[in-house]
Amino acid sequence: MKHPFQIVLSDQDGHVFTSVKNEILVFNTDGQRIGHWIDPLDKSVTLKKQQEEKIKQLSEKKLKTNDETPIKIPKIPVPGLGAPPLYNYIRSLSVRNDILVGTTDSDKAVVIFRIDFSNNIGNCLCLIKRQVLPKRPCAVSQNDKVVVVADKFGDVYTVSIDLNEPVEDKALAPILGHVSMLSDVLITTRDDGKSFILTADRDEHIRVTNYPKSYVIKSWLFGHREFILSLVIPEFNRDLLISGGGDNYVLLWNWYDNKLLDQVDIRTLIEPFLNDSHLPPERFLTEDSVKEVTVSNIISYAEYFYVVCENTKCINGFKIDAGDGFKVNHIQTLTTQHSIVDITLDKLKNQLIACFDTEDEHKLLAGFAIADDGLLQQQEQSKALTNISDANECLVESRDDFYPLYYTSTLRKRSDH
Amino acid sequence: RAHSNPFSDHCLDYPTSPDSMEWKNMYPGFYDKERDEMTSQVEIADIGCGYGGLMIKLAPEFPQQLILGMEIRVQVTQYVEDRIIALREQNQHTNGYQNISVLRGNAMKFIPNFFHKGQLQKMFFCFPDPHFKQRKHKARIITNTLLSEYAYVLREGGIVYTITDVEDLHLWMVKHLEAHPMFERLSKEWEQQDKCVEIMYNATEEGQKVTRNKGSKFVACFKRLPTPEDTE
Repeated sequence: MKHPFQIVLSDQDGHVFTSVKNEILVFNTDGQRIGHWIDPLDKSVTLKKQQEEKIKQLSEKKLKTNDETPIKIPKIPVPGLGAPPLYNYIRSLSVRNDILVGTTDSDKAVVIFRIDFSNNIGNCLCLIKRQVLPKRPCAVSQNDKVVVVADKFGDVYTVSIDLNEPVEDKALAPILGHVSMLSDVLITTRDDGKSFILTADRDEHIRVTNYPKSYVIKSWLFGHREFILSLVIPEFNRDLLISGGGDNYVLLWNWYDNKLLDQVDIRTLIEPFLNDSHLPPERFLTEDSVKEVTVSNIISYAEYFYVVCENTKCINGFKIDAGDGFKVNHIQTLTTQHSIVDITLDKLKNQLIACFDTEDEHKLLAGFAIADDGLLQQQEQSKALTNISDANECLVESRDDFYPLYYTSTLRKRSDH
Repeated sequence: RAHSNPFSDHCLDYPTSPDSMEWKNMYPGFYDKERDEMTSQVEIADIGCGYGGLMIKLAPEFPQQLILGMEIRVQVTQYVEDRIIALREQNQHTNGYQNISVLRGNAMKFIPNFFHKGQLQKMFFCFPDPHFKQRKHKARIITNTLLSEYAYVLREGGIVYTITDVEDLHLWMVKHLEAHPMFERLSKEWEQQDKCVEIMYNATEEGQKVTRNKGSKFVACFKRLPTPEDTE
């Protein structure tokens, strides 16, 4: 069986970017593969790095003691039984004009590509920078000059989009930080030319920070009670923000004025689609445990937005009513054949493209046409999407070899001390 | 226990936002029942207040301002709470110690949940956990990234007070505060005339322990600078 795509992304012109394991694939609007990149580093990189550091420490120690005997070279550490598995995946992708940015597991790096769409025979992806970070990156955002990257340790760094050599990871200084794992980051510029960075974390915080003077915090947006996973600024009004995560609801904000505009309940809509996999992990399971809802993706399109919850077979559509003080109305619950792993907006064809958690290797992707009234309709599988499915060559033995597609239950706080 | 991991979840009680914080039970003497509002707000925060010695000495110096101690260790917080209750009872006739209170919290994660932008006038960091190991430095209470949060809750002209008996940590705190664009170090002369510096030097339990052991104490104070005009 094939490993599902863990990421799907589309740009202004309908190109499709997907990622499966440590590979990035780029397709044109017909679904022909026009670019690809495989992370050449493997998961042993971090282990080797640990070994190198140990050697360095030992040599320094030896210098101090004036010991003549050669140092014993330590072995590359082997993770013991029960150690968490090492993954080697592309965790996030972001595209803006002709710059594609990804993050790697192998060396915890941000990889920046220039995309040359005129190069239609060879490979349109040209790696221009690979910047290693001190901790694993979780989310990226970009403007014309910089990539903003948020990591698991709560820190945010900028990496300039240019041909300059990457900086030694230890020399990087965070431009801002939370004392919590970050889950999403956005950089945005308002019409008056002022830029801000929005960050979301595992401790329910959304923070708005000035940029480039990122030592000046503008505000916090308070309203979530669980971890946050997704931040989206709709294009039709860039002062608005939609946010969701481990809560039973999605919030609509005016982030600039620090105003909560509306709260929409997701749980009632999603309840029929929940199953036993949504219960808490066994050791936290009690008789009154409720199934847990996690908003994993939010896609904005004009005044509509679409919400996908983790490991559920449906998409919920909403409309933001600008005339009514920005109230949100539910317009549709669309059942899908499989659970959605990731979803993107294809502006060229006015459709959403979802990648499915499925063993049907020809139908790894599905398209949903968006009508003028914002309603979705599943389409017959297009030739383009079939082509993209077929271009996925990542074979695995069983579902056990999948990337952890549904991992958010580990983000929920269950501490009892 | 002398330490607590600031990164773990704990089972903390914190308001979802500063607006939803209930101060009236903590400072009943400053609560106007008829208008259902506080007559004063917290302006002085002792971050990692330990056994509360600093607050108890500060209380009579700032009788109209509310002083809050934040402490992450449960038992220590409980001790301070009991101590304040006892002090309030003993001083009923003067209404003393109504302006100090303590709560268990993780200041590194949740300071913005408690205080509005520019609410605080003074923040104290007395004898913080030194977290000696290099890889534990992010757990220190003064870091570049956390200083931006302290600058947010402090008003222009507000003061950050630091004191420690660990010289390395003192140098680290000074280095980071000096490097931060929102803070400026105050002079030795300023320190000498400031009442709070004297109290901080002598009042805390940690400080007294250092004196008994004939150790050194290092003080540094910083002023919160105006917010740059081109930012919000």
